[in-house]
Amino acid sequence: MAKIEDLKEEARKLLREGKIKYIIGYGTGSNGWMAGPVFIKNPEDVDKLVWDPTCVHNLSRFLVDEKRRKAREKQPDKRPVGIFVKGCDSRAIVVLLQEKFIERNDVYILGISCENGGVVDEHKLTRKLKGEKPKKIELSDNGQFVVTTGNGKVEFPVGELLAERCLECQANFPVISDILSGEKTKRPPEKPFGSIEKMERLSQADRWRFWKEQLNKCIRCYACRSVCPMCYCDECVVDSINLAVSADTTAEEKANKVKWVQRSAESSENFVYHFVRAIHLAGRCIDCGECERACPLDIPIRFLNKKLEKEAKELFGYEVGFDPAQPSLISSFKDEDPGDFIR
Amino acid sequence: MKTPETLSGEMMEKILEKRSLPSWVKKLDSWTVYAPRKDENERWNYDIAGSDSVGLDFTVTTLPAKALIFPQREIFLEFLKTAAENRETLEVKEVLPGEKPVVIFGVRPCDAKAISLLDKVFSGDFVDPYYWTRRKQTILVGLACGTPPWENCFCLSTEGSPHSEEGLDILLTDLGDRYFVKTLTENGEKLVNRAKDLFKEPRPEDKKKVKAVHAEAEKKIVRGIKGVKKDLAAKLRGMFDSPLWDEESMSCLRCGICTYLCPSCHCFDINDEVDSVSPLHGKRVRTWDNCQFPDFTMHSSGHNPRPDKASRLRQRLFHKFQYFVETYDKIMCTGCGRCVSLCPVGIDIIKVLDKVSDHGS
Repeated sequence: MAKIEDLKEEARKLLREGKIKYIIGYGTGSNGWMAGPVFIKNPEDVDKLVWDPTCVHNLSRFLVDEKRRKAREKQPDKRPVGIFVKGCDSRAIVVLLQEKFIERNDVYILGISCENGGVVDEHKLTRKLKGEKPKKIELSDNGQFVVTTGNGKVEFPVGELLAERCLECQANFPVISDILSGEKTKRPPEKPFGSIEKMERLSQADRWRFWKEQLNKCIRCYACRSVCPMCYCDECVVDSINLAVSADTTAEEKANKVKWVQRSAESSENFVYHFVRAIHLAGRCIDCGECERACPLDIPIRFLNKKLEKEAKELFGYEVGFDPAQPSLISSFKDEDPGDFIR
Repeated sequence: MKTPETLSGEMMEKILEKRSLPSWVKKLDSWTVYAPRKDENERWNYDIAGSDSVGLDFTVTTLPAKALIFPQREIFLEFLKTAAENRETLEVKEVLPGEKPVVIFGVRPCDAKAISLLDKVFSGDFVDPYYWTRRKQTILVGLACGTPPWENCFCLSTEGSPHSEEGLDILLTDLGDRYFVKTLTENGEKLVNRAKDLFKEPRPEDKKKVKAVHAEAEKKIVRGIKGVKKDLAAKLRGMFDSPLWDEESMSCLRCGICTYLCPSCHCFDINDEVDSVSPLHGKRVRTWDNCQFPDFTMHSSGHNPRPDKASRLRQRLFHKFQYFVETYDKIMCTGCGRCVSLCPVGIDIIKVLDKVSDHGS
């Protein structure tokens, strides 16, 4: 069984020997039960690291920050950063490597296997606990989620609390790592695209109605984009001004900059934002589900990405985030690729 | 334009049976009534309420009541260029909100207090006609918190309380099968007078119970910030260059949740939205803006005075706990806890402020 202790020892050693700059891991979150990202610089702080079914975050997103930070520094510290990854998160690192956003020696990967577990869905937990506040969640040896509340312990079968994406997980252990804790348990999902089946059965008119209602809720806080390790563009098409502006950009160039999306959080603009993002993630999204989790209005963003993941698989036999040497979906071509959509 | 007088001479104290709430709402047909409604994920948001769907058994809305008075998108004016006989004319038409007056039921005291802070921002040297048109036609019916809606409530340390009356027209207190109704303004009285027959005089034991409920609620709030208003502002003044901001912002995603969902954040942007180029017509709109976005302070030269997450997190705290205190002698935070509970990475303003209080001691 995966144990954080195995990795803590390694983490302490790496920091003590100065082989890595710092570690991106999970610590106890602010409200006491949900984990949160922590950044460990000193070997004596390694004990702050935790591993439990609330470690939902895809920490590889912080590699984007690290790259930006290095770019700002005059003499950047080029040592690798240590990073804790689950199976899904490791696939994000594979994509970052594939796209040459990072290099392999930029990271020291501390992998941790979800084995037969995974992470919990906060909404499912809230509904189960009916108002009671969780204090701690663990995965027991016999494969149950044990939730401690103010009134004692309650056990739930894993399937009842698992996040939807865990139920459709294609990599429950890291596909790339420098050190791994836990077993490489194979757990192929029953229905890898089960969650979108219901959507696919809807008529076009019903789907339109569904998305209109959902995307009307969007307040464009961009949490979905901000939490995504693949949304690393310095300049996003929806930003109100051109981030790539430099001292040499002329006034005319700025004035003529096309504004593709208005700031107004209106249905039409929200559609453009979410669909542009979905298309940009086709063949890149590894389904960590963070966009949907971060959304304060509960827009089911995962449906969009999952559908495109399915298209990529069915049309091009393409699977994301397993092989850093694989050419990317959008920039590669095979003779046998279907062409019946070209008229 | 003058800001409204909030307090009238007298206030009324009444009792409303819970089962009479729908009948009261039914009588309020000259207003658009909003009340919290729950979605399938157990999250609450304000929605237009019918007399059959109004219920006040809720926790806290994800979007604060501010969104109904200071909406995310507000049209200022419409413009239209026409050309006839070689003469171009530009027509500009001011658009003021002119909808039906509004009643918002179930406003939490922290959200109402935040609206009283927005009142300050949108008055002063320039009285914002868009804000005030909505504000004057909105009546706020508050609901005192019997139990803190979530674990991160900290209103007691931001000069508020679970039964604060600031900014409200009516405060309801849940007494089990009945509400204790306290009107606080003429507007509040107007609402009660619309359905006079439904309201009864409170018994002495009702008044006693209200006090007990209020006192009990205060005891249930577990979180709070150490520093008081002046101390925090003074501490912050010397911490502009502290390494604390870098440390605390490491996990920040630079999204807009903490500010867009904050009941007191009020920054905005103004843009022209062109609907058609020929003939030219479009709208000038105000939309919410957000100090956590990198482009918020981006100059047209490409220079950005707040280039990193650390400087943006610092700005959020400094605005709320130093700049606003210096300008208005108020903290620009009402302890609603949204930014703590809804942050996807668990950045906790209470913990950060406690580190500020402990700084150098």
